Amino acid sequence: MAIIVKLDDLLHARRMTLTELSEKVGVSLPNLSILKTGKARAIRFSTLHGICEALECQPGDLLAFDPAEPNVHEEP
Amino acid sequence: MPLPYENALRASRRVLRALVVVNVVYGIAIAGLLAFSLISEDFAMRALGVAPAADREVMMRGMQLVAFIGILAVPLIQVILNRLLSIVDTVRAGDPFIIENARRLQTIATMLLGTEVLHLIIGFVAARTKSQVQQLDIDWSFSIAPWLAVLLLFVLARVFESGARMRADLEGTV
Repeated sequence: MAIIVKLDDLLHARRMTLTELSEKVGVSLPNLSILKTGKARAIRFSTLHGICEALECQPGDLLAFDPAEPNVHEEP
Repeated sequence: MPLPYENALRASRRVLRALVVVNVVYGIAIAGLLAFSLISEDFAMRALGVAPAADREVMMRGMQLVAFIGILAVPLIQVILNRLLSIVDTVRAGDPFIIENARRLQTIATMLLGTEVLHLIIGFVAARTKSQVQQLDIDWSFSIAPWLAVLLLFVLARVFESGARMRADLEGTV
């Protein structure tokens, strides 16, 4: 199982770059990049709020759950 | 930017490195004394100020056993000092809150527990080593403080582990 981050798709649909989103949300580019590549271990509500506001979407549009995928966020 | 207490850390490192050497020298000295007592029993007894008595064999075996237990403590102390050195190094590197340090603390606690058990055994041997005319006197006494230190270290290791995991989580938080 895995949480899939669909930030890339949303950015593509809104014709927005990661740099523009970073400026709008106030989250650093490296951190957004970590989120986009699915390497983040957790997401703050404030970040989620900022992204949803900037991309005019719902949290469910940004995140998805795929039980077939391995859980890469599991504790070591 | 230099870390606060950088001088204290540098001094701690030097003291620990010196203690590593002292511990090895101590081990060699005790081993030498033990070997010497096995080779030349009479001379060793005179050198240690043990009064000649008919049943001094008991005293000699007791002292040899205490020396042997003392040697067993050397590797335990060595592990403690080396782990402590590694922890100090991570503090100097500016990244001490890691799982490895929690494991090091756990190892230090276990080794300290081992040395305290050896200390108890030495006390037991000293108490049992007596002849009709003399008693082995090694100035042994029981103290609760080291046992509390062992307990504290085990708890601290667990706290450290939780803290390190929380920090790892925070690092991956966006």
